[in-house]
Amino acid sequence: MRKTIIRLLSNRVIFLILLFIIVAVVMSSLSPFFFDWNNMITMTRFGAALALVGLGQSLVILGGGAGIDLSVGSIISMSGVLFGFLVNLGMNVWVAVFLAILIGGILGMVNGLTVAVWGLPPLIGTLGTMYMYGALSLVMTKGVPLSSFPEEFSFISNGKILGLPTQIVLIVIPAFLILAFMLKKTKFGRWVYLIGVNDEAAQISGIQVKRVRFVLYTISGLLAGMAAIIMSSWFMASRPDVGNGMDMRSITVAVLGGIDIFGGIGNIGGTMLAVAIVTMIASGLQLANINTIWQLAALGIILLGAVALNQLFVKDQSSL
Amino acid sequence: MKRRNGIKKYIPKPSRREFFTILLLAIEIVVFSFVSTNFLSFKNFETVLRNSTDLAVVSIGMTMVMILGGIDISVGSALGVVAIIVGWMLQAEINPFLIGLVAVIMGTVIGILNGLLITKARIPAIIATLGTSNILRAMIFGMLGGSWLTGLPRVFGLFTKGQIIGIPIPVFLLTIFYVLFWLFLTFFPSGRHIYAVGNSAEATKLSGVNADRTKVLAFALLGSLVGFSSLIYVGRLASVEITVGIDLPISAIAASVIGGTSVKGGKGSVIGTLAGVLFIAIMKNGIVLLGIPSLWEKAVVGFLIIVSVIIDLLVSARAEKRQRDQLSKQRLLSMENKILERN
Repeated sequence: MRKTIIRLLSNRVIFLILLFIIVAVVMSSLSPFFFDWNNMITMTRFGAALALVGLGQSLVILGGGAGIDLSVGSIISMSGVLFGFLVNLGMNVWVAVFLAILIGGILGMVNGLTVAVWGLPPLIGTLGTMYMYGALSLVMTKGVPLSSFPEEFSFISNGKILGLPTQIVLIVIPAFLILAFMLKKTKFGRWVYLIGVNDEAAQISGIQVKRVRFVLYTISGLLAGMAAIIMSSWFMASRPDVGNGMDMRSITVAVLGGIDIFGGIGNIGGTMLAVAIVTMIASGLQLANINTIWQLAALGIILLGAVALNQLFVKDQSSL
Repeated sequence: MKRRNGIKKYIPKPSRREFFTILLLAIEIVVFSFVSTNFLSFKNFETVLRNSTDLAVVSIGMTMVMILGGIDISVGSALGVVAIIVGWMLQAEINPFLIGLVAVIMGTVIGILNGLLITKARIPAIIATLGTSNILRAMIFGMLGGSWLTGLPRVFGLFTKGQIIGIPIPVFLLTIFYVLFWLFLTFFPSGRHIYAVGNSAEATKLSGVNADRTKVLAFALLGSLVGFSSLIYVGRLASVEITVGIDLPISAIAASVIGGTSVKGGKGSVIGTLAGVLFIAIMKNGIVLLGIPSLWEKAVVGFLIIVSVIIDLLVSARAEKRQRDQLSKQRLLSMENKILERN
């Protein structure tokens, strides 16, 4: 009996679904408006940007080598700001969108270069770029948000397709599906897991570890660039501080979603569930008129609990 | 006496890496004194020192924890929580010594909690402290309730503002702290264990050292330093705002890394860290004096972090190569000898 419970709970997806249900029940008891269709729809909008950077973070952590990307928040800020400049220069919005995502990718490449290729410890390398990008976006705008975007641009974050939020249908779900396909069905995806488990063995068996990790940081940057577009459309402005706190939140959802911080274990479906849970807590507390600050505390407790539980199960399984 | 000589070779001397940071610091001071006329004054140095006293104290602990192979990103929030309680106690006009004691104990308790999460629940340090950081940050919001604590009595102001025979108190304070922890890390068994655990927790355990206890000890010491820093913080600003200590963990990590502490653990010293703290503090000060918008500050610090780590990597790669060359030379020699013997 105990073994089955452990096996059930140590399956991350089942654990997360249980947690999801518990949170949903708690939140709906706090506020009668919670289980409203409209509220559900708006809620997914809140989670869109977090889902994207959470996916990027998950990939980077999966790649192992103590991989972590602290700069995602600052990449959001910086490519958002550059997007704002491009639009204000009179560029077509959709071309600017494309360029902003590309800029995110380039900023991610810088991480890939310093961390994966030159071998800086990821924590320090991305900490450095986090500082640099964050400060540069403040310097470029002098701290003032850029706005005056064309009206049609708000379609991304405020419009609907088939009754569902645009950014979810057009960006988040496709991104998730592509990445999931990549991880599960392509050679590259298998490489990611392999180098996460044992990079030395992977290197010896002919996988270009540095190159794979470089690509992972680049993907993380691209996803952050997409998040920047969503945030810019959401506020209809490019705020230089828009990505603040995104780094920590993305790590939280990745780890809560079951990505092993040492790499090689976990799947991004868990990350998506974790994003749903985190978003639900945030907006549920808001609806219940409880100060949103407490979501921070709730997040912290859930994070600690989830990882501790995970470690416990790993220990149990190895002794079984 | 003989035994002491035997130990001596295991006692680390300040290495080239630390001298490098000190050299950088010296170059920085020379450059800034040329480009800004206001830089090289006693008053300015006092300001620099005063504004970085709390960072300098926390950085000692951060260095210890990083030598251990860990990291603590909850120091800022921990400092905030303790600072608020210190503020409340100041408003209630409790005996300052008692306040100091409570602050240090509270900090230590938070540190021990982090240590237990890492050792007993086996959560990686970065995740564990990320979690506690979130919880403590929420506590700060809850305790302040959206308003700031302001106009606190400046009981602890003497930590940063006071002078003894014309020398600012921070000088004394930092000298005491850094010498104390330098001694601890170099000569005390528990201090040496921190390096040992950082180099290889497994080997340390096998040689009979309680690695878990060493970890908890390091985090507890870091906590107590954070608790003490909250006194300095409250004394310096006489207020506690909602964003208290938000940059502290990253600044402390940056100072340690620039000072030569390895993120992978096992390497580093508080001497280098002090040079790192001063380097960052003077850089910030210089940026302001040169009239560059202070928004650039972080970009410069970020750039410095990356550069200093790249230098670290290059230096260690060279040292490794030299070691390898030596080893292969030795092998070659012994092989030649064998061949000679056979003949």
